[in-house]
Amino acid sequence: MKSEMTRKEEKVKKPNPFVTFFSSFKSFFVNFHKRFVDGSIGTKLSHFIMGSGSFYHGQYVKGAMYLFLQVLFILFMVLCPEINGTPYGFKALINLRLGGSEGGDFDPMTGEMTQPSNDQLMLLFGLVTIAIIILYLLVWISNIGSSYKADLEAKKGKKPTTFKDDLKALLDSKFHVLMLTPTCLAALVFTLLPTIFMICMAFTTYNQFDMNAEGTVLFHWNGFSNFVYMFTGESQLGSEIKARFLPVLGWTFIWAILATLTCYFGGILLAILINKKGLMGKKVFRTIFILTIAIPQFISLLSMRNLLGEYGPVNSLLQSLGWIDQPIGFLGLSASDNEYVAKVVVIIVNMWLGIPYTMLMTSGILMNIPADLYEAATVDGASKTKMFFKITLPYVVFITTPYLISSFVGNINSFNTIFLLTGGGPTYVGYQAGGTDLLVTWLYKLTIDNGEYNTGAVIGIITFMITSTITLITYRRSKAYNEEDTFQ
Amino acid sequence: MINDPYKRQKYKSQKRSKIASLSATYVILLILSIIWIIPIFWVACSAFRTEYKDGTFIGAVTSGFIPSTVGFKNFADLFNMTYNGIEHAFLRWMGNTLLVAVCCCLISTFLILSVAYCMSKLKFKMRKPFMNLAMILGLFPGFMSMIAIYFLLKSIGLVANQDQPSLAILGIIIAYSAGSGLGFQVAKGFFDVIPNSLVESAKLDGCSNFKIFKSIILPLSKPIIIYTALMSFTGPWMDFIFARVIIGPTNVEYWTVSVGLYDMLFGTFADINLFTKFAAGCVVVGIPIVTLFMFLQKYYVEGVTAGAVKG
Amino acid sequence: MKLNKLFMLSALSILLVSGTTSCGGADKKLTVWVGNEEGTAEFYQAACDAWLAQEGNPYADYQIIVKGTDVGSIAGTITQDPKAAGDIYTVAHDNVGKLAAAKCAKPISETSLVTQIETDNPTTFVDVCKSIVNGKQALYAAPYISQACFLYYDKTKISDEEVKSFEGIMAAAKRNNCKGWTVPSSDGADGYNFSWSILSTRVSDHYTSLKLYEGASAEAGGTKGEAYCQGDDRIATLRWVQDALENPNGFKFASSDGWEKDLQNGACLGLINGSWAKNAVASAIGEANLGVALIPTFTLTENNVSGLDNNVVKAGDVYRGGSFADCKVFMLNANTDSSKYLAQQALVKYLSSVEMQTSAFEKQTIVPSATAASAQIDQLFNDGKVTQSQYDIAKVQVEMGAWGIPQPFITGTLNTYYYSKSAPAIYAAMAVKSNYPTTGTALVTNTAEVSGIRQGLYMMNYIWLKGKNPASIPTSLPAAIE
Repeated sequence: MKSEMTRKEEKVKKPNPFVTFFSSFKSFFVNFHKRFVDGSIGTKLSHFIMGSGSFYHGQYVKGAMYLFLQVLFILFMVLCPEINGTPYGFKALINLRLGGSEGGDFDPMTGEMTQPSNDQLMLLFGLVTIAIIILYLLVWISNIGSSYKADLEAKKGKKPTTFKDDLKALLDSKFHVLMLTPTCLAALVFTLLPTIFMICMAFTTYNQFDMNAEGTVLFHWNGFSNFVYMFTGESQLGSEIKARFLPVLGWTFIWAILATLTCYFGGILLAILINKKGLMGKKVFRTIFILTIAIPQFISLLSMRNLLGEYGPVNSLLQSLGWIDQPIGFLGLSASDNEYVAKVVVIIVNMWLGIPYTMLMTSGILMNIPADLYEAATVDGASKTKMFFKITLPYVVFITTPYLISSFVGNINSFNTIFLLTGGGPTYVGYQAGGTDLLVTWLYKLTIDNGEYNTGAVIGIITFMITSTITLITYRRSKAYNEEDTFQ
Repeated sequence: MINDPYKRQKYKSQKRSKIASLSATYVILLILSIIWIIPIFWVACSAFRTEYKDGTFIGAVTSGFIPSTVGFKNFADLFNMTYNGIEHAFLRWMGNTLLVAVCCCLISTFLILSVAYCMSKLKFKMRKPFMNLAMILGLFPGFMSMIAIYFLLKSIGLVANQDQPSLAILGIIIAYSAGSGLGFQVAKGFFDVIPNSLVESAKLDGCSNFKIFKSIILPLSKPIIIYTALMSFTGPWMDFIFARVIIGPTNVEYWTVSVGLYDMLFGTFADINLFTKFAAGCVVVGIPIVTLFMFLQKYYVEGVTAGAVKG
Repeated sequence: MKLNKLFMLSALSILLVSGTTSCGGADKKLTVWVGNEEGTAEFYQAACDAWLAQEGNPYADYQIIVKGTDVGSIAGTITQDPKAAGDIYTVAHDNVGKLAAAKCAKPISETSLVTQIETDNPTTFVDVCKSIVNGKQALYAAPYISQACFLYYDKTKISDEEVKSFEGIMAAAKRNNCKGWTVPSSDGADGYNFSWSILSTRVSDHYTSLKLYEGASAEAGGTKGEAYCQGDDRIATLRWVQDALENPNGFKFASSDGWEKDLQNGACLGLINGSWAKNAVASAIGEANLGVALIPTFTLTENNVSGLDNNVVKAGDVYRGGSFADCKVFMLNANTDSSKYLAQQALVKYLSSVEMQTSAFEKQTIVPSATAASAQIDQLFNDGKVTQSQYDIAKVQVEMGAWGIPQPFITGTLNTYYYSKSAPAIYAAMAVKSNYPTTGTALVTNTAEVSGIRQGLYMMNYIWLKGKNPASIPTSLPAAIE
C-alpha cells in the first residue's frame, strides 16, 4: 500500500502531456550540451567512439561491448547484407523510396539472371534498418550517459561501477530490464515491425490487380489515395470497398454485439442453474460443458460445419422427418443460400462455443456474492426473479465489465468461427466479401487469397481503429485501470 | 421439530416447490448437456465408423448418426497414411506439434510470467506506456503480418530451405512464442492479488528483486504458471493458418497436426472419404488435450476468473 | 536511463541476427518439384536416379531430390519466395506468363531442348510456353502432361448410346428419378469447372463466337481487346443451360465437395471434372461402375433461339460441351546457380521426352502432352501395358483436347481476371433463370430475357478485359462485334 502522501503528490502532478513532452525534449538537448562541455575527455570522446568513456574509467568489459556494437552497426550499414537479393543497411534506406525498382533481365549466353527488385522486401528491410538505427542511437545515448555518470561519481570520489556490479544490478534494481528484454526484443521484431509494415501497405499501390503489365512485384507509394478510393469507388479496390464496406461493418457490429451478449447472459444463466443449491452432480454437468472449451476450436467448428452441412445428419434428419424437401443451406456454403439463415446459425453455434466459458467464469463469482445481500433481500420478501435482477446480475456485471469489453473486441476479430463455419458465405457475386464475412475474414480473403495487400491493409487499419477506440475508451474508464494501485 | 401445523404445511409446500424447481433444473441441464454433447459424440462416432457399400469403404459424412458397424479401421488407416509421399504423415505431424507445443509452452510461460511480474510488482518509468503498447498491438489482426514475419524469420535463416527443411519447426516455434509476452494481462491480474506487503517486507530484509521473484512470488503462483503453460501448450494444436504460411505448403513432413487435418478436408487430396479419418485424427488430438484440461481444470478456472476480473 | 541497457542488448541481438546471411554455395544438387498425386514423386525420383546412372551422363555427379507439390496452387508459393522453390518446378501452363514476368523462371536456351519441345507437342501447347519478357520472346517451359475436363458417369445407369448427348443422360436420369449430372462449385478458382458450357462449340463446324484473348500468346498483351463472349450463340447455349438446370433430371451445382456425395447416393449420375478427381469418383461410385466419356452434345430448342439472329443460331443446332485444354509444364527456377543451367535443361529434356512421357503414362497414368506419346496410348493398351480404365481416361482427355480452348494466359494479371474476378460466378448465377436484380450483388440483370443475359455477358466480358466490374451497363448492346 502506498502512503497517503505519495498518492496525493501524484494527484497534484497533472501536467499537460504536450508541455511535458516538449520540456523533456528541451532538457534532452540541454543535457547533451552540458555533458559534452562538463564531461571528461572520455565522455567527450564517447560521442564519437562508443565505449571510450568506459575505457577511460576502467570499465573495460562495458567499453568493449559498446565498441563492438558500434563496429557491428557500421559494418551492417556499410556492407548491406542481402536476403533474397534485397539489401539491408544504407541501401535499404535508399530503397525505401520504392518505385525506383528494376525489372531484372536474363543473359542467354551465360544463363546469368539479374533478379528484379522486390519492393515488398525493400519496404520491410527499410523498416528493419530504421529500427536498428533507432536502437543504435539509444545505445549511443546510453554510452554517453554511462560515461558521464562515471565522471560524476569520480568527482565525488567514488569508484565507477565494475562490470560485476552492473550484472548484479540486473538482478535487483534493474531487474525489470532483465525480465523485459526478451519480450521487448521479440515483440519488436515479430509484432511491432510487421504491424508497421502492414500499416505502410495501406499507403502503397501493392495490389495484384494494379500491378504493371509485367506482373512483377513492383509498387510505389500512393499517399492517401487508397483511403480516398473507399469513397469514390475508383479502381478495383474502391469498388469492392464502396459496395461491401458498410454491409460488412454493420454485420461485424451486429455479430459482435449478439455474440457477446448471447454468450454472456447464456453463460450466467447456465452458471446459476448449475450452482443451484441442492443440485447433485454439479461436477458432471460442469465437465460436460468444459468439454467444448477443451476441444481445439478448429476441430469442433469443422465438425459443426459437417454436422450442419448439405449432407450432414441434421439435414438428413429433417428430410427423413419430411419437414423439408431440399437440404437447408444452414451455413451459406453455396451462393444461393439465404444469408440470414447463415447469420442466425453462426450466432447459435457461437453460443455453443462461448456459453461454457462464461459459465465457468461466472460460477466462481456467483459463489463469492456476499450471502448477507440475499439474506437481507429475503427478509424484505423479495422474489427470486427480483433478487436475480437486483442482486445477482448487477454484481456479476459489475465485476466482469473488463471481460465483457475484451470479449466484445475479441468477437469483432473472431476469425476462426466465421472462417471455419461459413467461410464468409453465401458469396456475393462479383465481390470478395460474402454475407457472413466479418472485417477480419474479409481482410484474409483480400490479402492471403487474392493478394490485394493495400485494400487489406486499409480494412486492417479501420478494424484496428474501431477496436482500439472501443478498448481505450472503456478500458481507461474502467476501475481495473484507474484504481490499479488501490486494488493492491 | 416443527410443531405448528401451519408452519409445517408451509415448510412442506416449500419443500415441494423446491423439489419441483430442482427437477426442472435437472431436466433443463440434461437437455442442454445433450445439445452440448451431440456434436462431440458425432465426431467420435464418425471416427469409429467402418461401413462398406458394395465392398467400397465409405469414409464420408453419412446421414446415419450412429454407425452401423464400428471398428478401428480409421485409426489404423490414419496412422499408416501416406500423405503427399510422406509415410506415416499423421504420426509425424503429431510429433512435430508436440515438439512445437512443448517448446512454445516453455518459452511463452517464461516470457509471460516475467513480463506480468514486472508489470505488477516493479515500478519503473516505461511501465504504463509498455502496457498500453502491448494492448494496442494485441488489437491488430495478426495474419496481416504473417508474410512480414516469414521474411523476418528468413532473414535470420529460420525458415525451411532446401538443405534444412527442418528449420521450419524452429521458425514456427519462434513465430508462436515471440509475441506471447504481450499477453501478460491474465497473469498480471493474478500477481496483483498477491499483497505488496510481502514484497516490501522481503525488501526490508535485503532481498534482491530476483530473489523475491524466485523465492516468494513463484512458489505462490502455481495456479497461474499452470494456467499459462496450459494455454501456451494448447495453442499450437489449434492454429492452422500461421503454421501453413511459416512452415510452407510444400513441407508436408514438418506440418503441425492442425495444418494436416485442415488440408485433409480442404486441400488437393480432399476427398469426402477422408472425413472419418479426419474424425479419427480429431479424436487422437482431442483426447490428450481434453484429459490435460480435465486434470488441470481447477487451475484453468482460476486463470479464467483472474482474467475476467482484471481484464 | 534505466532502459538503456535493455536497448543495448536489443541492438546487440538484432545486429548479430541480421548479420547472419545464408549463402548457398554452388553445390551439385537439383530439386525437382512434380505433382503430388500418389506415387508421382517416387516415379520421377526413380527416373532421375536412372538418368544419373546413365552411361556417359556428364551430370552423373549431381544429386537429385524429387518432391511432390500441389501444382494448382504452387505458383503463388513460388512467387512469394522464389529462392525456396525447386530448381525445376511443375506448374499448370496458365502460370507460365506470370512466373516468367516475375523473373522466377529462366528461358530455355538449349537448342536441342527447344527443338524437342517444338516437334513433340501440338502448336497450342508450344504457344502457351512462350512468353515475352523485357521485349524478348522466348520459350520458358517444357510441357509434359496434358489435361482436359471430361464426363465421369455411372455405367450401370447410363447406356453407351445415352452418354453421347446430354438429352440422353436426362432420359437416363428420368428413369432413375434423379439428376443427370453435377458440376462442382462455380466459385473462385474452381470457376473453370463450369466452363463446359461457355466453351461449347457447334459440332458441325466447330463454330463459337467466344474469344478468350485470341492469339494472345503470339503478342503478349497486344490482342486482349479481342476478349468477347456476348454473341447470340452464347446466349442460346446459356438458355439451354438454364433449361437443363430447371429440369428435374438435368444438372445441379454441387456445393464444395457435394458432388462426391451426390454420386455416392445416386442423386446424380454423372460429373464433369478432370483426371485429378478420378480416385474420388471411383471411391464414390465404385471402380467397376466408373465410366468416362467426352463431354456430351446438346441440341438447341426453339425456345433457346427465339429472339436471336437466325443466321447465327438455329433450333436443332448441336453443340458439344467444351473444356479448357491445359498442359502442365516444367520450368527452370531463375534463382538456381547459373553453373547448373545446362544440367537443369538436360534433366528437363530427359524428363519431358516422349519416352519418359510414355513411361509416366504407363506407370502413373499421367496423360502425355507429346503427340507421339499420346499416339502410343492405343499401342500400350493393345500390348496390355495399361488397364482399360487408364486407357479410357487418357483417350477421352486426348479427344477432349481437340474440343478444348486453352485458358487465356499471357501475364499473371490477365489470368486472374479470367479466374477469380467472379466472371465464372456471374455465368453460373445467370444459369438460374429466376435470378432477378438483388441489392448488393453485382448481378443486376433479369436473366429470363435476352437483353438481360446479354448484359450479364457484357459484365463478364468487361471483367475479362479490365479485371473489375463495369461501373454501369449500357442498355442496348450490339449482338456481335466484328
